[in-house]
Amino acid sequence: MTAPTLSLAPVEQEVTSTDEVVAPDVPWVTIVWNDPVNLMTYVTWVFETYFGYARAKAEKLMMDVHVKGRAVVSNGARETMERDAEALQGYGLWATFEKDS
Amino acid sequence: MARAFLREQDRYVGLLESTERIVLQGLMQQTRLLLSPEIEPTGDAFDDLVATMGLSLSAADQEPSAAKDGAAEADSSSFAERDPALDRLLPTAHRGDDQIAAEFRRLTEEGLRQRKSGNLDVALECVEQAVGNRVVLDETQAPAFLMALTDVRLLLGERMGMRTEEDAEALHDAMDDIDDDDPLGYAMAWYDFLTWLQETLTQALMGTDLRDVVAAYDDDLEDDSDDEGPRDGSV
Repeated sequence: MTAPTLSLAPVEQEVTSTDEVVAPDVPWVTIVWNDPVNLMTYVTWVFETYFGYARAKAEKLMMDVHVKGRAVVSNGARETMERDAEALQGYGLWATFEKDS
Repeated sequence: MARAFLREQDRYVGLLESTERIVLQGLMQQTRLLLSPEIEPTGDAFDDLVATMGLSLSAADQEPSAAKDGAAEADSSSFAERDPALDRLLPTAHRGDDQIAAEFRRLTEEGLRQRKSGNLDVALECVEQAVGNRVVLDETQAPAFLMALTDVRLLLGERMGMRTEEDAEALHDAMDDIDDDDPLGYAMAWYDFLTWLQETLTQALMGTDLRDVVAAYDDDLEDDSDDEGPRDGSV
């Protein structure tokens, strides 16, 4: 994200493979990845607006994305995570979904 | 000189000079074109399917049917293969499983293109309907405008090779001794301008009273007004 000072490692980390056998009810997660274009305030606004998260939670998630390079922003059934990822991509965030590991 | 978006009762009002509005409209139109090529159905199911993926098999398909202006030319050569900017605007939604990612894209891409295009249409209309320099957004137009600005900046960033934080830093560092007539410097100045514009609108939407911050920022801009950059033409 666009930020005043901090510099981060590139975002193209390996994602843990989801090949392993897991119970069918294991929830999936939606992940937002850091990118150099999206603004910290805007990302916070998206988390508030789309998820209805309180300011503090939205800011915490935003900072996780910014500092750690990614954050799990929601979890649940696969269909729900697909919907979240689609919506967040609509906002221009770099959102993916995967099975929780 | 542009002024930040500020809340006025139930509206968000920003002041944009004519040059700023024209450039903003041009960039929004280019982004809209990339996202929604508006290719007419060809009657060939396979071609149409491929077309919705941002690809086109025949030259005729590359003419957008409802192109609004000459911005059409900017990307007409890039349909031969998927434009990398599309991967930024409509990124892979699953890292590690191409099949899941492809299925997701098949189900969502057209809808996303339509939503993003719709946001850009709203934003374009708002800029077009500016009275004097006043660009006025209501409660539903403001979020659309924000999302439109995001997609414009994503496209601009991709075109400038800004894919990581390091890229962004390197680009900003390079601005210190870039040639006055280097187009990259021009693009970067507009990118920074849009970043500032989006930041002020976001903060206005979030209820932050920005007036002090804006005053300080505008003072800074005025101090820098001798610098080269697209803003100079409109001050």
